[in-house]
Amino acid sequence: MSENLQMGLNLMFIGMTVVFLILFLVVAGGNIMIRIVNRFYPQITTEIKVESDSGNNKLAVIVAAVDIVTSGKGKVEGIRRLN
Amino acid sequence: MKLLEKLFEMTALSHIAAEPGTLIMIAIGLGLLYLGISKQYEPLLLVPIGFGILLANTLGGNMAVVSASPEIEHLTLLEIAKEHGIMSFLYYSLIKTGLLPPLIFMGVGALTDFGPMLRNLRLAFFGAAAQIGIFIVLITSILVGFSPKEAASLGIIGGADGPTAIYTTIILAPHLLGPIAVAAYSYMALVPVIIPLIVKLTMNEKEIMINMKEQEKLYPNKLKIKNMKLVKILFPLVIGGIVAIMVPSAIPLIGMLVFGNLIKEIGTSVDRLNTAASETIMNVATIFLGLCIGATMRADTFLNVQTMLILLGGFVAFGISISGGIYAAKIYNRFSKKKINPLIGATGLSAVPMAARVANQISLKYDPQNHILHYAMASNIAGVIGSAVAAGVLISILT
Repeated sequence: MSENLQMGLNLMFIGMTVVFLILFLVVAGGNIMIRIVNRFYPQITTEIKVESDSGNNKLAVIVAAVDIVTSGKGKVEGIRRLN
Repeated sequence: MKLLEKLFEMTALSHIAAEPGTLIMIAIGLGLLYLGISKQYEPLLLVPIGFGILLANTLGGNMAVVSASPEIEHLTLLEIAKEHGIMSFLYYSLIKTGLLPPLIFMGVGALTDFGPMLRNLRLAFFGAAAQIGIFIVLITSILVGFSPKEAASLGIIGGADGPTAIYTTIILAPHLLGPIAVAAYSYMALVPVIIPLIVKLTMNEKEIMINMKEQEKLYPNKLKIKNMKLVKILFPLVIGGIVAIMVPSAIPLIGMLVFGNLIKEIGTSVDRLNTAASETIMNVATIFLGLCIGATMRADTFLNVQTMLILLGGFVAFGISISGGIYAAKIYNRFSKKKINPLIGATGLSAVPMAARVANQISLKYDPQNHILHYAMASNIAGVIGSAVAAGVLISILT
């Protein structure tokens, strides 16, 4: 019994240490990754001014359509009417 | 007369007369069905588990899963199906091989949004603190007389993660699978009852009313994410990489979780894979997991003192895990200017997203403006990783 209890205490010590360590590494790794992405691959956001509400809805549809068709690579920078 | 005797033997009545415990098992099966259908407690799992119990206890139907023994292990799957029925076939091919829990983790990954966790990364530590219940119950169970492997399977209920509990039990103590799965899923369903109870016992009104958004305004997060889409694609790879190096035994669960999440975040180009992982495969896996677990629960294997101890131990593990997270947040608040609502700690369990939703409801009850869901989700998702890592540690040390 005492051997099993010793095993249980060891498991508790090792288990909690590893769980904290892994989540510490996930937090640290996540932070480093965010900094790298912010520095080298920031998303360029272009604000397009549209006057009416219905225009805003149309814009959202156009942006979403471009995003899907180009798999997220294409960006809408401006909209103008073609003759 | 002989004909009547034969007729009686043909029906299940003769078997029930020989094994009256079957009636109790049928009542338990019906009880789980009632909880799932009428009370809507985890219906996706309690309904298949409840029905699996009914199938297994229809004596003479050959639908119960036979316990593992050296003789069974030498049979081919075809022979198992022929001699012991289709539920044993499903159990030995899908559950005993450890296939279904990782598939469910893939689905969970495909349904999980790491966004809240990425925006509040430091809250992930509470997902670690809330695993303490696993280990305290493990030690208590050893003291009560369980072997270390059985105690570890029992303790892992405190992680509040059904697939993790099942995966660990399959490897460490397969004979306890039925009661442990029922305890894990029943207590997960009871999260809306258990969390408020523990909160009442461990927190005061002032702590519940800590407003996370006001704290955020007072001490804003310096690190803003400038390309969330890319960060969300890279994050599962970071998690997978860290776990693969540090606790490879947790990779069957975490690896599939991050794969599921990756195909979700990639977007439209792999949309079909995402749908398969989060709907088709997840649903099929859930049905078979529930039915097979239910089918392991026969009167002779379920109705004993050990089952009662497991149900009690599981509840204690749950309670300690929730209080572990709450006290971790309280300790943090003693040393930090930026306070954290200890309810965030209570959600370090991995019952996603129910724990976070319950914490948010408690917070809104005291202050209708204090929405903490976003923050609670951060520690809640970290809890999934935390419990899977704890399971990985237990498996690698005890096998």
